[in-house]
Amino acid sequence: MMERKLRGRGIAASWYGIARTATIDRAGAWAEIDDGGTGKIVTGVTEIGEGILTVLAQIAAEEMGIRPEDVTIGDNDTARAPEAAHAGATRQTYMIGNSVALASREARSALFAELADHWGVAVDTLKAFNGEVWAVETNQRVSMKDAVKICKARGVVPVGSASFTAHGTGLDPVDGSGAPWQAYVFGTQVAEVEVDTYTGEVQVLGIWAVHDVGRAINPRGVEGQIEGGVVQGLGQALMEDYQTVDGHTTTHGFAKYILPTSLDIPQINCTIVEDPDPLSPLRAKGIGEPALVPTAPAIMNAIYDAIGVRIKSLPATPEKILQALRERHAANQREIA
Amino acid sequence: MPKLKLELQVNGRKVSREAEPHQRLLDFLRDDLNLTGTKEGCGAGECGTCSVFVDGKLVKSCLMPVAKAAGTSVQTIEGLAAPGDLTPVQKAFHKTGASQCGYCIPGMVMAATSALRENPNAGIEEIKERLGGNICRCTGYTKIFEAVEMARDVIAGEMPAAVLEEDAVGESFIGANVRRLDAPSKVSGRLKYAADMKMPDMLQMQVLRSPHAHARIMSIDTSAAEAMDGVACVITSADVPGKDGFGVFVHDQPTMATGKVRYVGEAVAAVAAEDLLIARRAVAAIKVEYEPLPGIFFAEDARKPGAPVLHDYAPDNLVKHIPIRKGNVEAGFAQADIILEDDFSTQQVEHGYLEPEAGIAYVDADDVVVVISPSQNISHHRHMLAEIIDKPINKVRFIMSPVGGGFGGKEDMIYQGMLAICAMKTHRPVQLNFTREESIIASAKRHPSKVHYKLGLKKDGRITAIEFSMLSDGGAYGMSSEGVMRKAAILSCGPYEVDNLKIDTVAVYTNNTPSGAFRTFGGMQAQFATESMMDMAAEALGMDPFAIRRVNMMKVGSRTHTQQELTTASLDRVLDAAEKASRWESGPPTVRGPARKDMNGPDTRKPCTLGARFETATPGPTEAEKVA
Repeated sequence: MMERKLRGRGIAASWYGIARTATIDRAGAWAEIDDGGTGKIVTGVTEIGEGILTVLAQIAAEEMGIRPEDVTIGDNDTARAPEAAHAGATRQTYMIGNSVALASREARSALFAELADHWGVAVDTLKAFNGEVWAVETNQRVSMKDAVKICKARGVVPVGSASFTAHGTGLDPVDGSGAPWQAYVFGTQVAEVEVDTYTGEVQVLGIWAVHDVGRAINPRGVEGQIEGGVVQGLGQALMEDYQTVDGHTTTHGFAKYILPTSLDIPQINCTIVEDPDPLSPLRAKGIGEPALVPTAPAIMNAIYDAIGVRIKSLPATPEKILQALRERHAANQREIA
Repeated sequence: MPKLKLELQVNGRKVSREAEPHQRLLDFLRDDLNLTGTKEGCGAGECGTCSVFVDGKLVKSCLMPVAKAAGTSVQTIEGLAAPGDLTPVQKAFHKTGASQCGYCIPGMVMAATSALRENPNAGIEEIKERLGGNICRCTGYTKIFEAVEMARDVIAGEMPAAVLEEDAVGESFIGANVRRLDAPSKVSGRLKYAADMKMPDMLQMQVLRSPHAHARIMSIDTSAAEAMDGVACVITSADVPGKDGFGVFVHDQPTMATGKVRYVGEAVAAVAAEDLLIARRAVAAIKVEYEPLPGIFFAEDARKPGAPVLHDYAPDNLVKHIPIRKGNVEAGFAQADIILEDDFSTQQVEHGYLEPEAGIAYVDADDVVVVISPSQNISHHRHMLAEIIDKPINKVRFIMSPVGGGFGGKEDMIYQGMLAICAMKTHRPVQLNFTREESIIASAKRHPSKVHYKLGLKKDGRITAIEFSMLSDGGAYGMSSEGVMRKAAILSCGPYEVDNLKIDTVAVYTNNTPSGAFRTFGGMQAQFATESMMDMAAEALGMDPFAIRRVNMMKVGSRTHTQQELTTASLDRVLDAAEKASRWESGPPTVRGPARKDMNGPDTRKPCTLGARFETATPGPTEAEKVA
């Protein structure tokens, strides 16, 4: 007699490409170090919830030598901002982040050139961070607010612009050969599940999610992306199922189309691996989509480990689990007979 | 029907208004009082985005007729804290990163506040159960749980309030957990999504959608609709001024059905009217005569001889086929010690973003057609709309409103064209807000896929050859299918270096709801099959699942399936970290779960039993309760 509730563990590995696939990708940005030592960034496409606004503010702040909360981001307007293409393809941090970094760097260079001349020091001795500018090994140090004043009094508005390119190539139409991305990430997830063999219900109790993101600009934000991806993967693994009959949906609302809610959530243990991207100034890659890829197979492998039933057709609903258990039981009976 | 006279308290202020009897409390708050922090996510009490307090009890305001709110005291997200301030719960959501797209967050903050008011000492299990009526699609809930626990402890004085503030910066802002700059606007309900925006003189648009999966349109009679009081315009495909057609890769989808409909829910005509009710009545008055056509409802049927044809340009119903060839698979299988062959399938999946599609279009004083919508691809939409409405690019302007979840589902321009045409016809702002049901039937889904897999291996676990063939149901229009097939093919056989490969991915047209872009763009469907096969192979060979992956993993210098040489590769470190973090007990995957010693650790949650989680709440309001 089998125990009612059985546990198991499974793993799955994965890989993913960063930015648009099998094509050249591009993003533009404008930057200005503004009055009061604040920063202004304008770029074509930003937030869809992933946290890119904050990431861009961190990047601009780091490059300009100011603080993230001092950065204003004007964005998402085809008539007012340079093109940055679309919000998807795990491209925001990589494409727009690097574009903003380069534009901000150019604005800082314009400011540094004026300030170095004003102070009579070599431009490469200047540093800026957290709202202050100084020349190393000198007593020269001013707030960014005053640095902008000095720059503007000399007749210069410190602005910059940049376009960042990722060099993907198309695929050969016959053998598919090509270099679709210049940056790849890898991930692995382990799932621990408990299967109720009476009801067929699967509970995911733990996920260990390990993902290479290049360089984590905001680790908490990366975790948020991983946790969200894992739970979407869990939904697809166990419950979500858009169904149609002769083209008519039978799952037309959230009463029929079941999404994971708070009681479905495993403890998600994130580990961030940083393998820096050598081809971009930020060294960061991305995490949005890759986080979802290994979750469902890790859960299916864990279900197999628990009850010896391999679900090859998603989602692994209680009905499917029970059916598979019955079939396995019948097969075992035949073997015994 | 006569109007209702209403008196109630809203956020501590007396409100006396007349309301329409059909209004829900949600409509009254949003439309009449402009309290748009309360969101509509489903209109059916299933998602929780519209949660408010009525006489102190958490209520889904989409389920409450406004008449029932008469004489009550209502508190909305806007009323939790004084203007410009945040409650400890809101601050904790800010601190932990509990808001992503933010659309569910006002409702989630209300539910969290309710949880701590009901039981200021609620443990994590009780908190989870009390949040159970609120759906979040972005965060995976984990940071939300953390926020509620943090707020509970701060309110109880067990944690200093300083934990809610920004952490001090070290030597760099790169790598720092800077709090999300957009969180205060989201946790307070102040951020305006497209459906929350109002413009003077704005019309409301509604769309007539196809009840047929495949049918010829014999006639459309809009005369009764156009004659109705309050109707500003009625449009059909005949009103498209330029070259119609949109899509991410192939422009095969018309702004409104032209000649025939290809899926249930496809837009056929649209009405802009003085208000939503008139627009809905006018849509119901449009008469369309259809001649039903045989449809394709299974991807396998699409390429059979004699199958109905959806699009004239594709007589074989093929959207895209991506082949990848590397080495010699016959030779590879000949070298194999074992060959495994199997089939896998994945289902069609709805994005389930909490914000249904919404948008506004208007023509500005310089004759620029402006569309405000949560579009994930404003630059491409601008190109396509310029062609559709026959305007130069600089006379078309797309503004991306805050996106209440996208996941790829808001890359398709399925309604912006209709909005623009109505705005051009009326020279008034026009707004369209989808219902949840409309969003579900009209928008793209994740491709359902079937994979046939053949895997050859040596006894030591080394893969000698893979044959991978995937068939995906693209639905009625191309949308992102081409790109999804390409990505699925490139990633198909996983992060393993395999010398001999034959990979084919195919998407076909059917009369099902279209499939399109969805987070991973084909990557998960393909790798689900690969990662299942890897474990099946490990079992057959008696190998540990980590070990078999290490034998085959891509390394620096490896050639990918598309023969690209990798200059960096981190899978070795990623596998090591996963094995260590999970305290993995090594061994082959031979159903050894019940005997494993590495389970039930402190880094797992307890299994849940419904209803067993509520502890007895402390009787009467405490100080902590009042603060929440």
